[in-house]
This record gives sequence, C-alpha cells and structure tokens, in this order.
Amino acid sequence: MTASETRAADEDLDEPRFEYDQGTFEAEARRQRISRNIRKVGAYTTLSVFVVIAVGPAVYLISPAFRDSVSLFSYPPEWLPSEPTIENYRFLFRHTEYLRWAVNTLIYATGVTLVALVTNTLAAYAFATMKFPGHRTLFFLVLATMMIPVAAVLAPTYLTVRMIGGWPIIGNFIDLDTYGGLILPSAVSPLGVFMMRQFIETLPSGLYEAARLDGASEWRILRKIVLPLLKPALVVLGIFVFMLTWASYLWPLVAATNNDHRVLTVGIQSLNGQFVTNWGVMAAAALLTIIPVTIVFLFFQKWFVQASMAGALKQ
Amino acid sequence: MDAGSPPTAAPGEPWADLTLSTSEYRRQARRLRSRASRRAVGFLAPYLVIWGAFLAVPVAWGIFLSFNKGGIIGDREFVGLNNWRKVVRDTELRQAATNTAVYVVVAIGVVFGLAIFLAALLNKHRGAGNFFKVALYFPLLAPPILGAMMWFFMVHFDFGIVNVIQRLLGGSGINFLGKNPNALLTIVAVEVWRGLGFWVLFYLAGLQSVPEELLGAAKLDGARPWRRFTKITIPTLRPLLLFAFIVAVIFNVQIFDSVKVLTDGGPALGTSTVVWFVFKRMFAFQDTGLAFATSVGLLLVVLILTLLSFWWSGEHRQRRS
Repeated sequence: MTASETRAADEDLDEPRFEYDQGTFEAEARRQRISRNIRKVGAYTTLSVFVVIAVGPAVYLISPAFRDSVSLFSYPPEWLPSEPTIENYRFLFRHTEYLRWAVNTLIYATGVTLVALVTNTLAAYAFATMKFPGHRTLFFLVLATMMIPVAAVLAPTYLTVRMIGGWPIIGNFIDLDTYGGLILPSAVSPLGVFMMRQFIETLPSGLYEAARLDGASEWRILRKIVLPLLKPALVVLGIFVFMLTWASYLWPLVAATNNDHRVLTVGIQSLNGQFVTNWGVMAAAALLTIIPVTIVFLFFQKWFVQASMAGALKQ
Repeated sequence: MDAGSPPTAAPGEPWADLTLSTSEYRRQARRLRSRASRRAVGFLAPYLVIWGAFLAVPVAWGIFLSFNKGGIIGDREFVGLNNWRKVVRDTELRQAATNTAVYVVVAIGVVFGLAIFLAALLNKHRGAGNFFKVALYFPLLAPPILGAMMWFFMVHFDFGIVNVIQRLLGGSGINFLGKNPNALLTIVAVEVWRGLGFWVLFYLAGLQSVPEELLGAAKLDGARPWRRFTKITIPTLRPLLLFAFIVAVIFNVQIFDSVKVLTDGGPALGTSTVVWFVFKRMFAFQDTGLAFATSVGLLLVVLILTLLSFWWSGEHRQRRS
C-alpha cells in the first residue's frame, strides 16, 4: 500500500463500521510498513551476497596478478599487494606465447562463427521454405544430433580429421594442427540450423511465395528479402556461437597441440601444474583474458542474455 | 505438388484435352519434385557436408570402433562385445559414473533451488533488477577453464581466501581439493557458481509468465506467500521445470573442464567423471576400445534425454493449444 492509499483508508475510518480507532489503525499501518521494509532489506541483502559471490573471485584476481607468487604464502596474509609488480605480466609476454594464443583464439572463434552463420542460415532457409522428398526425415536426422556432447565424439572426430589430413590437397587445409581442422569440427552443431529455421518460419510465407511466383531465384529471395529480416537472429546466434567457441577447451586441446595453433584456454591451462605452478602468472593471464570480454559484455548485455537464453530454450 | 491421384475428366468434356493423363501427371509431378530437390541441395550442401564429415561420420565410426580393439595407434581388431563387457565391469568407470551421477544430482538440485529462490526475490523486488541480473550472469562470461582457475585463489589449502579467513578466525584450514568427498563438492560449488546466473534469468522469465490475476485472487482469498508459491507458482513452472531438468542433465553429465583444472580426477579418483575417464583412456592410456564404448554409452544416454525433451516440449505445446 502506498502512502496515498493509506490516507484514503484513513478517511474511510469516519464510517462507524470499522472497529479501529484512528490510533490503532495507524499503529497497524506502521507495523506493516516496517515489516515490509525489513523484508525488502532482507531481499536486497541476500541478492547482494550472491552478487559478491558471483563477481568476487574475478575481482580478487587483481591481487595475486600484481604481486610476487611467493607473497601468496606469507603470514600474516596479504590482501592487497604491498609492493605491486608487473613482473607476472612481463613473464607472460616474454616467456609464454600468450599473444599468439590470443590471436589463435580470435581466429578460431571468428572462423567458427562465420562458418556456422553462413552454413546454418542456408540450410535453415531450405528446411523452412522448401519442400522436397524426405525433408522431414532429413531434418529430424540433423535435429537428433543436436545435443551430442563434444566429448562423446571427441576421439572419432580426431581420427576423422587425422584421416582427412592424409589426403592430397585438402589435407593441407584440414588436418590436426591447422586452422581448418580446428574450426570446421567446431562448427557442426545443428543448434543454429534449428534456431534460424524457427525464426524464418515466423515470417509470413507470402513474402517469399510472391517473389517465387515472380520468378526470382531462391538465392535472390534469401539475399534481398529474408536476410534483412534475419539480422537480429543472426546477431543473437553469432554472439552465442562466438561465446561458446572461445570458451571451449576439449576440442582445441586435442586438435591443436603446437604453439602455432594453440588457443587461450589450452595455453593458460598449460601454465597450471607444469613443473611448479606460477600462481601469479596464472592469475595475470586469467585476469587479462576476461577483461576485454567483460567490457564488451557491459556494452551489449541485452544481446548476450538473449543469446544464452535462445541457446538453451530452443523452443 | 504432391502426386496423389490426378484430377480426371471424362472424354468428350471440353477440358479433356487440357487435362493430363495419369502418366503425364506423374511425370510432371516428378519433374517438379526433382527441381525442388535440386534447388534445396545447393542450400543444404555446405552444412550437410561438414555435418556429415565431422559429426555423422564420427558418430558412426565411434559406434563401429566400440566393437574393436586399437584403431588409433596400431591395427584394428574386431573383438565383438568385449569392450562392452568391460564397460559393465570396469571398476574405475563405475566410480567415474557414480561420481558423475552424484555431481549431476547435487549440482542441479542446489542450482535449481537457489535459482528459483533468487528469481522469486528478483520478481518481487524489481528495484535495480538489471544490475543484479547482469552481476549474477557475470560468471558465465569466463570460459569454464578460467572460472575454475579463479576458484584456486578461493579454495587453495595454503592461500585460498576461504582458508586464509578461516585461519585468521583460529581454524586450521579446510582441505577443499585434497580430500574426498570435499573435492567433488568443491567442483559442484564451482559449477553452481558458474551456472546460477543463467538459471536465475531462466526462472525469472518463467515467473514473469505466472498470471498476475491468479496470484492477486489467491491473496484476496487469504493465501499466505508460501502457499501461493507452492500452489500457484510452482505448478505454473512445472512444464518448464522438467524441460530445464533434462537440459541441465545433458549439460552437466559432460562435466570435464573444472575437473581437469582443479583436481585432474583426484584424489584417488574421487572426482573422476565419465568424460574425464574417456579422455584419459583415449589420450593417456591408449585403451581406445573401452574409451569408444564409453563414449557410445554417453551418446546413448544423451540421445535418450534429447528425445525425451523433444517429446515433452511437443506434448506440452499440444496441450497449450
């Protein structure tokens, strides 16, 4: 109840059917207001605690990233670096291939996103607007592979890529330790086909039927009529695929083992536990890696959230 | 476009010579269909080629190799059901499967409980809602590998923040990663931390679809908040809940990244999971037959769950309309 509502209720009190006198009524209203406020404070405190837990580990990385790893073990503990140092970053850039990994990650994630967007949109357009014998069966077959975990086909995919790598010409582009071999197997998820098909089916079919009757080629219809309407869906799918790909670990771990093609996740994890873990360098690398994503995220948060929802719901 | 029975005209009728005979009709229909197929092929080919080469073929090959020995290094040898017999008997795999099951059940239980609770709070108290949503979503931005690494600095026995604070308060430190069942529970905690924001947003969207009037009416009838929650909100969310549960199982049954970073399966295989087991057998121990059979087993489980989720969402959609 807002203040004005309370006042309105106060005026009703003139009528004798209420047993409350003015004083009791106000006391009751105050009691309710206080309990409401307590509940509100409780709710926001709880939410804040979870926010601290969510963001805290990343924020705390700043401390170990800017101090000597040895000082981590000092007693009494140091919360903030007493002698801030950029030694960890110097090590990261001089003695590891961090920059190379970052470039590889960009190439990998961009490549997968482009391949997925192009192939998925084309296939989705065919599945949504063309009826050919067996289109239902084929779509169901593709759809059935939607949830296949990378892990479950990791080894046979590895074998396939290695086999293709042995073929003439094509083997130069698709092999273990090539960008082609890294990118293509990561771009096969039918999720995008499914998402784009759902989206195209929401468009009025008169849109492309009319153009078809006028004799426009399918390619022209897709480019001139359907594609402009697909832009939001393409952005959502693009963000989703990019985020999933740059964060992936398992496939790049087995497909790209040399430094020329190694990606960030695999590279940074290789700092963990090689001989003695250099905790400071690990923290520095992790911090450096999440800062750019966080900045991009803060600018485009609405799209990000939409993308992750679209990916999970698929409905 | 479908070739049913062609429309017929009796001879002598004026449109008879404009009407196709049965065989002509069939031929034309076939031509139309094959033209449609040819058109579709151009659009489908780019996707179907990579899908076939890097998904369909590997799946088939994996199934085939699960009946063989070797195949990666050295010659392949057909061994029938041997690998599958091993799948049933192997004690390490059994432990990995048990760990995975425990992990999946506990993690989903905790994350769903917390997410529904927080979503209900956010739904009731809308002030600064966007800030909370964005902040809770934040852990999903970091790759699982990095997210797990951050937790080293929280739970490490020597310098983890939790232990540092615990020692300052006079404790002797909690061994989060070097002891069972602590290690598995720590991994549950890390994954709950990572997924929570997503499920909060998911359930928030669900809660916002609960009809306002229904809740208002129940309130007028004197139903208390908890009762309104269990009798109205939860039943409205129920179709969403089962679907979410299946999807969450599919995601979580693949747990690997944080295990690899935080414990690498240890201590004493206490955090070995199915995917971790497959990975080790395949690339460290070269016990490929068992690895392939386990992969196919995982594949089957996921396939069944996927079909179940399709069936469920189809069923649900039908009931709605």
